[in-house]
Amino acid sequence: MADLLNISLYILQGAVISVKIYVVTIIFAIPLGMLCAMGKMTKIAPLKWFLEMYTWIFRGTPLLLQLFFTYFGLKILLGIELSKEMAAYLTFIINYAAYFTEIFRAGIQSIDKGQYEAAKALGMNYGQTMKRIIIPQAIKVILPPTGNEAVTLIKDTALCSVIALADILRNAKSVVSRTASVEGYLVAAALYLIMTFVIIKAFKYIEKRFEYYN
Amino acid sequence: MNEIIRVENLHKSFHSLHVLKGINFKVAKGEIVSVIGPSGSGKSTLLRCLNHLEVADKGSISFEGQYIAKADTTGKAVYKSNKEVLAICSNLGMVFQNFNLFPHKSVVENIIEAPMMVKGKSKEAAGKIAEELLNKVGLLDKRDAYPNQLSGGQKQRVAIARALAMEPEIMLFDEPTSALDPELIGEVLQVIKKLAEEHMTMIIVTHEMNFAREISDRIIFMDDGQIVIDGVPDDIFVNPDHPRIKTFLNKVL
Repeated sequence: MADLLNISLYILQGAVISVKIYVVTIIFAIPLGMLCAMGKMTKIAPLKWFLEMYTWIFRGTPLLLQLFFTYFGLKILLGIELSKEMAAYLTFIINYAAYFTEIFRAGIQSIDKGQYEAAKALGMNYGQTMKRIIIPQAIKVILPPTGNEAVTLIKDTALCSVIALADILRNAKSVVSRTASVEGYLVAAALYLIMTFVIIKAFKYIEKRFEYYN
Repeated sequence: MNEIIRVENLHKSFHSLHVLKGINFKVAKGEIVSVIGPSGSGKSTLLRCLNHLEVADKGSISFEGQYIAKADTTGKAVYKSNKEVLAICSNLGMVFQNFNLFPHKSVVENIIEAPMMVKGKSKEAAGKIAEELLNKVGLLDKRDAYPNQLSGGQKQRVAIARALAMEPEIMLFDEPTSALDPELIGEVLQVIKKLAEEHMTMIIVTHEMNFAREISDRIIFMDDGQIVIDGVPDDIFVNPDHPRIKTFLNKVL
């Protein structure tokens, strides 16, 4: 029993890096995705083209490959040596922002054009229209797919174990190889389940707060 | 005549479809003008050109003597800057066929939004105007309801109140009753009638022939992108001498 407790505490230490990557990614990728979504909807062709390439590349290649590239590739290619943590933050932010860009763009574009027309007819400018009329409605549309990404992200943090960050999965693996039993995996699974449960609940709660209209 | 709107040689195409083919008309202060005609004749497009929801290709549009768009030497419509156009067009209130209320805002929030954001009114001042307007359209008890809790007729009355809250010089109605169940049309027409009694200047695109005849000072009959007749209601309803009007009236009356 004491053994299980020790195992759990050890794996739990790995949760620190998983949660750190999670929080940093959410904090930076969501605003970045919002900006890129706005950029994609402008009439500036080079910007649109650039953002199109960006989302294509980062949604079109494995996150694992991107992680390798940031950590090992940049060193070989440009001599840029990032810390493991920094490489993980950077890769996750850029990768997730690409998904958020598409989610937000689709959400904003789903708002009826009559809403823009009504705002314009009332004399509201583009900025006011976006801020007061379009984005508040788009958030409701965006919430469910964003929640999906938020759940996927916590599981994707496990990929950082490949660049030797001591996250939940890596610690679990070392426990398993040391004890030659599956308990380490089960504890890791339980931790992921707890975290995803909290995220799902949090998004349910936020979605509920938007149910006052449809 | 104290002119509010003047349109000269207005042309508008959507790709290869030539929707407006040289429209000329004026509206004087206090006048009530209905625009009638078959579907696809360009009525709504004309109305939407007036407040820049559609961009005209050729011709001029002016509001109280200020040009929104002015024809250059080749006839092409040259618009003022977006900012200037927006400022001028905020004097034109618009009511849409599909209401276009803001679903995430309550009735009173729908009404106070633009006065606060555009005119910089305080919440109290805008709220006071909103309550007066809601009283006028008979929906004061719905002030805190959300649009999805209202019937179509109620939504349209809120939309009218919302447009009036900007204290427009002229109201544009784009088929205000076309999306309503027949039993809800009356309540909206009543509100428009009330505005007519107050001498609000209005341009109404409508299929409600009896209403148009009763309320209007002038009726414009459009067909195929052109104004066929611009005259008093009797010109059109009592002795229509134009074959296209006769055909149209036979279909709708």
